[in-house]
Amino acid sequence: MRATRRLTVAAIAATTALTLSACLASPDEGNTQDGGSAGPDDPIVIGVSLPLTGDFAEPGKGVQRGYEAWAAHVNANGGLLGRQVELIIVDDQSNADRVASDYERLINQDGVDLVFGPFSTRLVVPAAQVAQDYGFLFVEPAGAAAEVFEQGFDNLFYAAPAIADDHYDHLAEYVLALPEDERPKTVAVASMDDPFAQGTAYGLRDKLADAGIEVVEDEVYPPNTTDFSGIAAKIADSDADLLIVGSQYQDGVNLVVALQQQGYQPDMAAISGAPTNAEFPAAIGDKTEGILAPTGYTPTAPYPSNEEFVEAYTAEHGTPPAEDEANAWTTGQVVAAAVEAVGCADPSPECQQQLVDWLHENEVETVVGTLSWDAQGRPQSAHLIQQYVDGEITIVLPEDVKEADIIHPKPEW
Amino acid sequence: MTGALFAQSLVLGILLGGLYALLAAGLTLYFGVMRVVMIAHSAFLILAAYLAWFFHERSGLDPLLSLVITVPLFFVVGYGMQRFLVSRLRPISLTTMSVLLTFAVALTIEGLLGFVWTGTQRRVQLPYSGTSLEVFGVSIAVVKLIAFALAALSLGALYLILRKTSFGRALRATTQHPEAARLVGIDTDRVAGLGFGLGLATAAIGGTALALDYTIYPSLHWHWIGPLMAIIVVGGLGSIPGAAIAAMLLGVAASLLQVPLGTTWAQTVFYLALFVTLMIRPQGFFGGRLAQRF
Repeated sequence: MRATRRLTVAAIAATTALTLSACLASPDEGNTQDGGSAGPDDPIVIGVSLPLTGDFAEPGKGVQRGYEAWAAHVNANGGLLGRQVELIIVDDQSNADRVASDYERLINQDGVDLVFGPFSTRLVVPAAQVAQDYGFLFVEPAGAAAEVFEQGFDNLFYAAPAIADDHYDHLAEYVLALPEDERPKTVAVASMDDPFAQGTAYGLRDKLADAGIEVVEDEVYPPNTTDFSGIAAKIADSDADLLIVGSQYQDGVNLVVALQQQGYQPDMAAISGAPTNAEFPAAIGDKTEGILAPTGYTPTAPYPSNEEFVEAYTAEHGTPPAEDEANAWTTGQVVAAAVEAVGCADPSPECQQQLVDWLHENEVETVVGTLSWDAQGRPQSAHLIQQYVDGEITIVLPEDVKEADIIHPKPEW
Repeated sequence: MTGALFAQSLVLGILLGGLYALLAAGLTLYFGVMRVVMIAHSAFLILAAYLAWFFHERSGLDPLLSLVITVPLFFVVGYGMQRFLVSRLRPISLTTMSVLLTFAVALTIEGLLGFVWTGTQRRVQLPYSGTSLEVFGVSIAVVKLIAFALAALSLGALYLILRKTSFGRALRATTQHPEAARLVGIDTDRVAGLGFGLGLATAAIGGTALALDYTIYPSLHWHWIGPLMAIIVVGGLGSIPGAAIAAMLLGVAASLLQVPLGTTWAQTVFYLALFVTLMIRPQGFFGGRLAQRF
């Protein structure tokens, strides 16, 4: 009986002591992280919220790997402004409400010096709104849909070569520059009912249609379509010279096989989505030759900092980086370029505004090429165009970074 | 619509209708024999497709040879599933509870497929994947022709089993009047188990046919179960010839309607047919006396 009471008292005393020490400790920690009193030896703290669980967990983790690889690389090379960088990454569970409160907390309570963007349009918009409210620079790795740039943000920059509509710009230029007798006269389009797939495919379609090339077939199919023989029959019947497909993965593969089954032979096949997937050649077999696809990133792109990135990333992970990792790394490069140029990295509105202004006026050399932005944060470049040449997916456009000459007309499949 | 496109779409519709007919036949068989709504039918279909893909991947042999393994395997699994799971449901709520039970089985299969082979989309790559025969200007893909032939053969075999064998007569007796069947000495429990096995064996054949021409992934079965359910209601629940005729008609209709309406709207033909059937002829267009009891 007495022993029990003594234990109880001891337990209460211990709990009280722990609570008190926790209360006393936290303000101190808060002070050391406060940007205002940061000395030259304090790390630059960067806050990020990412979808590490939920719908976007897969790409979210890719972005996380990219951010962490970038931070490790910067720290190994002397840091930023001579200070180490430290990432605070929290999980927003792919939830648009959480992502906003995450950035509130990162800015207000954790006192971060800079923020990086989350993954995907649905999360980028609420996160960018918070950053805008606090006057923070907001560079994001994945939010290409048109609506991101129509919200009136002036602090936002998309760290990738192009928005969806402009992915095919290099190919459109190439096609329109072809001599009259080699230029396609008709085009057939098939796209998944998806803003990203349609944005890419329709960007090319509209540019060609404006130049007088006739659109003879224009199909949209729902994401759950599995039987593509009907669409293939219509495209084969139109016998268009140029084929444009906006796909994700299985739809692109099934459509290509269905077109082959019906003996349709276009002079040029531009397919976004499926062909850049590593599984594509295994699924189609030896009939990939000549298929064109736009890509936002490839480890073989010969930009100066890309070799460094691929080497650093591969050394750590054993595999070359993919697009999500690359766009995260690009985000880091863009923010770092602004910080180095302006010479500040703290949460004060003056510093953040200087960073924003600098990015609006300058170009940044990155792993996906040289980037610059319009006033709404749309990047002003286009995607690389790859083509299957001798069974390998190879960069063929633009001219200055190509690995092989573009094949036109496409060999029969 | 040009004549060539019409002919091509018609042929594609017939080929697709054949596959639908085989798959719907299995589904209507479960209902006829046991009043079971088998949501997991298409999940077994995808499982068989995965087994065919895995067999091809490992052995390098033609995926059609996997039928030698999957058909007996699925027959046994079907028999076991009926005897040890479905037959434990209380008769009074069998039909509704079977929806829940088989829904759970479908989720389990989907989850296991994802666990074992990940969500990566798979495709059997064959030398003849993109090959087709040219008949009067119409392209007939070899893989689709094989799938159609498999479906026609299996349906023919199913018809012969049900019409010409004593097991078939026992099965039909169990379908029509279980109590009377028991009175004349039929072991209806055993017959029901065998009928379930027969239904699942058709899923093995259909799944293998599917693997020849489709990219497969674990959740693909949800795209199949809706049209198949619509087909068996239109055809009259429990009627195998009804299911086959409805499958063929709706398959051809969907394929032809795709030309003027596009892919999105053509898919609705199955559900429109379902609504019309429920409104004007709830027992189905081809169902016999059995269907009228429900």
